Amino acid sequence: MEFFKTATRIDFVGKNRIMVTISAILCAVCLVSMVTRGFNFGIDFAGGTVVEFQAPEALGPIDEGKVRSALSGTEYADASVVRVGPPEDRTFRVSLTKSQEENRNLSVDLVKELGAKLGGDVTMRSSESIGPRVGAELRRSALIALTLSWLAIMLYVWYRFEWKYAPGGVIALVHDVVITAGMFSIFQWEFDLNVLAALLVIIGYSINDTIVIYDRIRETVATRGETELDDVVNQALNATLSRTVLTSGLTLLVVVSILILGGPVLRGMALALLIGMLSGVYSTVYVASATLLWLGRRYGRVSAPAERKARAAT
Amino acid sequence: MSLRARWILIGIVTLCSLYLSVPSFVPEQQRLDSALIPDEAMELGLDLQGGIYWLLRIDTGEAVRQELERIKGSIIELAEEKQLLLARSEVGGEVLTLGGDLPGLRKLVEEEIEIADVSQTDVVIELRLDDNWRREVVDRGVRQAVEVLRKRVDGLGVREPVIAPQGSDRILVQLPGAVDAAGARSLIEKTTFLEFKPVLDAAPSRELLEAKLPGGVPEDQVIVIQESATGKESEALLVPKKATLTGDMLEDARLGFDRRNRPLIEFQWNSEGARIFRDFTGEHIGDRLAAIIDGKVVTAPVIQSKIGRNGQITGDFTRDEAANTAVQLRSGALPIPLVIEEERAIGPALGADSIRQGLQASLLGIALVFVFMGIYYSTAGWFANAALVLNLLIIIALMSLSQATLTLPGIAGMILTIGMSVDANVIIYERIREELRAGRPARTAVQAGYARSFWTIFDTNLTTLFAAVILILFGRGPVQGFGVTLTIGLIASMFTALVVTRALIEWVYGDNPQKLRI
Repeated sequence: MEFFKTATRIDFVGKNRIMVTISAILCAVCLVSMVTRGFNFGIDFAGGTVVEFQAPEALGPIDEGKVRSALSGTEYADASVVRVGPPEDRTFRVSLTKSQEENRNLSVDLVKELGAKLGGDVTMRSSESIGPRVGAELRRSALIALTLSWLAIMLYVWYRFEWKYAPGGVIALVHDVVITAGMFSIFQWEFDLNVLAALLVIIGYSINDTIVIYDRIRETVATRGETELDDVVNQALNATLSRTVLTSGLTLLVVVSILILGGPVLRGMALALLIGMLSGVYSTVYVASATLLWLGRRYGRVSAPAERKARAAT
Repeated sequence: MSLRARWILIGIVTLCSLYLSVPSFVPEQQRLDSALIPDEAMELGLDLQGGIYWLLRIDTGEAVRQELERIKGSIIELAEEKQLLLARSEVGGEVLTLGGDLPGLRKLVEEEIEIADVSQTDVVIELRLDDNWRREVVDRGVRQAVEVLRKRVDGLGVREPVIAPQGSDRILVQLPGAVDAAGARSLIEKTTFLEFKPVLDAAPSRELLEAKLPGGVPEDQVIVIQESATGKESEALLVPKKATLTGDMLEDARLGFDRRNRPLIEFQWNSEGARIFRDFTGEHIGDRLAAIIDGKVVTAPVIQSKIGRNGQITGDFTRDEAANTAVQLRSGALPIPLVIEEERAIGPALGADSIRQGLQASLLGIALVFVFMGIYYSTAGWFANAALVLNLLIIIALMSLSQATLTLPGIAGMILTIGMSVDANVIIYERIREELRAGRPARTAVQAGYARSFWTIFDTNLTTLFAAVILILFGRGPVQGFGVTLTIGLIASMFTALVVTRALIEWVYGDNPQKLRI
């Protein structure tokens, strides 16, 4: 079975101008949102306490309102309450901005209080509490990790290809991270440690995609020369199109099944992966290749180390 | 490498992986009993099996304050010895302030306490710990606390706990399995401090006792209260500030019962403690001796006879109180308070739910990929699927072998490496198809397909590996686990895509490659 029996001849490069403009606007919107609206940081980064508890059957019907009214008038009145899972699970998540640095028994006290107010023994299913110092450290190390991976990848691409390939690859990565993080900011989805992990995977995936196409561009340049660079890039993109569609399609299949069935803990991560991978496929064409094309037109010569690669491959 | 050599390599890897992954699929007891099955299964993270994760910080301010108090004590002694005037000595913040005969004190401080920062004004000398000393004090505090926590956790019977210093002033604690979050907190309760002091005077209440002391409570003595079971003040005792014996010298403490089956604490002194206790009780027969835990009088019986190594403390304990107190006495005090900076407590039920959902989603995703690859690439697709199964086995084997922890995001990481592995096969197969379309003979097409894809796959995997390694270096907890899984998965995926599928194709179609269906 084959999706693309005859070679496609799509003019990707011809739409560069309009696509780059769209990308730029989208990135700008995301950046503005990140600066002005900021993120809905999970307690990993913001600090605070989240307790998940289950109410026993004996308490009769229960909903978020009932839990909230049980907490009103206590010292936990400012807590936010969300239901977890289907109603018959009778499970709720209570978030407090305070951490256990001040009161190490915060989560235990909260569950006790809930039990007393609701009139039965509630079970603590999980509790997480992160102090402000740890939260700040995690934010910082997240930034370091992102920057370092960008740097490492740029150096590697520079080493394996011509320098003109490196900026495009890295701008594409930054683009994907900005778009994904931007969506989390615009829609105020919770940004936690797992979403950060997803961002790092997106970087890996996006560079993966970019390298596959860069490789093909370099190879095509080696055989056709670089007089018609636009055409060369178009040819390389078309030649790898079926691979791009297949791989991203299959990976997205897995990501979507995690998104739908993976449960609440993995949801944010899967969502970030979904956005980032779509953005990664797009950015390979309209960010990475477009940048390479522009640099190639300006400075010429995009083929140099291909001989080294050809030699190594044989 | 010749085909035969590659098959030998593949065979060895497959057998080792199979052998090492077996323990992850059989129940624990069976695997420990059997001599053939390795003991090490894949380690599940706290988010999957439930348990408690703590990042604790020792209160460095308090550690410094205690050290300054100790220095203050020795300065007072030295000043007395040398008959220097010491009008003032107090610890405030992280400063020890001395007043009195300044030149004399200054000389004494400089001779005896070498590593403090000393500054002097017209009226006082101020001592601060210098950086090295400070670091040492914090370090000692952390080590002490780790020691005490280990002893206390041992008493809990948790399997494979982790208690380790982190950075300069933190301690990482992991208690896997079903641990009661509320109960576990007694582990980090500050102190259980046992003191024995002779009773100098007694009265039914504090007021009555104070009335008996017209000159007020003497400088070196203090009033302590014994509460009745209902929490009411039942007796006030006058005792010296300095204890005759403290819990430091205990060798053991455990729960015991008296003849009427009431719980009590049995204890045993070490040799030095036994000597002091024997001498003291020998000299004070007929006097009362108070046992004080954390500043509260537990019991104050009359000494009937000389007591040596072994003793008992009776009081209004419940069984649990007595047992907990005994554990805490045995493990010693945590003199410096610990702060919970980070806590993740996951109930075992929630962990099981997460495993179930994560696994279901992953298996569904993999099944879809399998079916698609089989249809799209026909025989070659099934070769890729076989390689994928081996890929999963290698991941499980390496995770078990390295005792890396599988966390929830780790499961996602595993799925993602499957994506990478599929990608590698897709790149190769598409390339082979391209070569075939260009009219090359099947054998050349397969060879060219692999040769031309090799560096693409190598580069893509290596760059993703960068991201994974950075996760391991800078991530923490579950994210770190994710990085480990990703790294192992990437290595396995490179091997299976570049070596295994190719060997399969060459093995099956080596002699008549034109039959290859791709």
